[in-house]
Amino acid sequence: MNWFCFVWTVLFSMVWQCPAAPSTPSPTAPGSTAQDEVECPSNCVLLIYSNRSTSEAQDPLVMTSTELNPDHYEAQRAAHAVRYYLNTLYGTPFRQLSFSKVHQARTEDLGEAGMKYLLEISVKDSLNKSSEKLCSAEVVYPRGETQQPPKVQISCAASLQLNTSAEEEDFYKRYSAADSAVSGKDIPDSYGHVDPEMVPFWKLAGVASTFIMLNESNENTLYNLAQVAKITQLESQNGQLRLEYVVLLHDMISQVIIIACITTSDD
Amino acid sequence: MMFSSVLALLILLNLQPQIRAVEGLALRAYDYTKYHTMDEISGWMQQMEKDYPEVVSSVIYGTTYEKRNITLLKIGLNSTELKKGIWMDCGIHGNEWISPAFCQYFIKQILSSYKTDPKMGEIFKNLDFYITPVLNRDGYTYSWKDNTTRQWRKNRSPGTGNCTCYGTDINRNFNVNWGTVGVSKLCCIGMYCGPSVLSELESRAVTEFLESNRNRILLFLTVHSFGQLILLPYGHSSVSVPNYEELMEVGQAAAKAIKSVHGMDYTVGAASDVMYQTSGSSRDFARLIGIPFVFTFELRDKGEFGFKLPEDQIQPTCEEAYQGALSIITTVHDKTFTSAAFTITATLWTTLTAACLSTATWV
Repeated sequence: MNWFCFVWTVLFSMVWQCPAAPSTPSPTAPGSTAQDEVECPSNCVLLIYSNRSTSEAQDPLVMTSTELNPDHYEAQRAAHAVRYYLNTLYGTPFRQLSFSKVHQARTEDLGEAGMKYLLEISVKDSLNKSSEKLCSAEVVYPRGETQQPPKVQISCAASLQLNTSAEEEDFYKRYSAADSAVSGKDIPDSYGHVDPEMVPFWKLAGVASTFIMLNESNENTLYNLAQVAKITQLESQNGQLRLEYVVLLHDMISQVIIIACITTSDD
Repeated sequence: MMFSSVLALLILLNLQPQIRAVEGLALRAYDYTKYHTMDEISGWMQQMEKDYPEVVSSVIYGTTYEKRNITLLKIGLNSTELKKGIWMDCGIHGNEWISPAFCQYFIKQILSSYKTDPKMGEIFKNLDFYITPVLNRDGYTYSWKDNTTRQWRKNRSPGTGNCTCYGTDINRNFNVNWGTVGVSKLCCIGMYCGPSVLSELESRAVTEFLESNRNRILLFLTVHSFGQLILLPYGHSSVSVPNYEELMEVGQAAAKAIKSVHGMDYTVGAASDVMYQTSGSSRDFARLIGIPFVFTFELRDKGEFGFKLPEDQIQPTCEEAYQGALSIITTVHDKTFTSAAFTITATLWTTLTAACLSTATWV
């Protein structure tokens, strides 16, 4: 039996902030966010992320440890980092992972190595809504002047692994056909509506965005996918389904919206 | 010539009741499960005043930069005395569409229940509601312009000085720790707190109204999205409210009431603990000037749709938030007026006992 193993590699393009102060005043719509037709730059720097393997557990350094209120923002933001991480591993157009509750949280200050958050969280699987898994997770935010992604580990990672579903296989087969030319914009629309046929593409954008959201996360961010501004199907190479997205990622803390270009392809 | 004019007049007179019936039908047909444009909401507010003249009157308490009236509906039974009040505002941020939807739903609910529900009738007797369905009218209107403006949060006042962008975050412009934390001094950013404290017409209008009524307002409730939170003051982590325990208790009861409707979890806590640090918010200002019960509601969802909550979630969101708001309103009302009721009851019993004793014949 030949199981398809979807490995969503994400080709990561330029990420720039929006809105930025325009250098020349625009007479038509000053101050509007640059959400008008965004084209992915052709000279983008491409970075490839492959499936992450869980790193080896390290002996914890004995450092100052602080108990956190699990409902307060510090623990919640770290739990979102875990959410992004889980979706980079196991997210698909038909399966998204999130958390319902943080039960316990504490920090360990690792000094130069960064700030470690230790969490007990209930992980929710969109494929199995009735049961939740209680997992232990660690998020280490590095210290430094420039943004670096946190390192995440989670105890139940192996138990969350699933084989490719029939739904995913059908989706791949249907849209990697030679004549397929999926396109769309403004998903969801202003009224929160998503065309049913576009839902898997929207969910895929969310999953692909978690690579970026994790990359951009620190103790002062909380990202969500605000919108798929544009989706275009690229020419299939080697029978792959290739999609180019322009996504808007909203940071709750600063209320800033990042525009990102993502190309997804499955192996 | 004369005959046709008379005929025309007769036809017109006959049509009048039908026109009014159609209008009434139109009101009843107003769809509270859809998002409405600013014009539709204004029209609906006027209709509410027409349809419920004994309890609804409108108050214009400011003007926006684009010259729109900032209007609230005062709702309650008329009284010769000046009554205590409850403040509610929606739509301070243009992109939080579920918020004005909730204010409209809330008003519809209380108007359709005050005659039949004794508790609501009692609340209408003792209190006046001051409800602003859309505070940031310019920002809300702009968010409807096209799909590139949907996420507009701020108002539409033009930038000052070197600034070429529009808009200030009204909810960072109030005179409470202004310009300190949780703001941006970059005028193009969504959390821009303005060139100076109270630089904005909307924050000035609310400030003036609250200050002139500060001794009468018992509860200040400001409605936002998203996050599913019930927030207490303050936004600055160094400042805490003196009645924290009481507010937490009231907030937790509201969260429980919300959860009982559709199972949704709303987290309760001080804004600086649960969400992020802020300064210059209307909620913090309301508490600072002494309004005892002050809350921010952050309605659905938790980020899946964010500000673009689908229309099929309007009804359930409004239903649960209504129970939450009602829980707080009832508690605040009872804390204020039950003691008066107790005094009356005690006086009555004392009088009766005295009368009884004085007329009793001692054998």
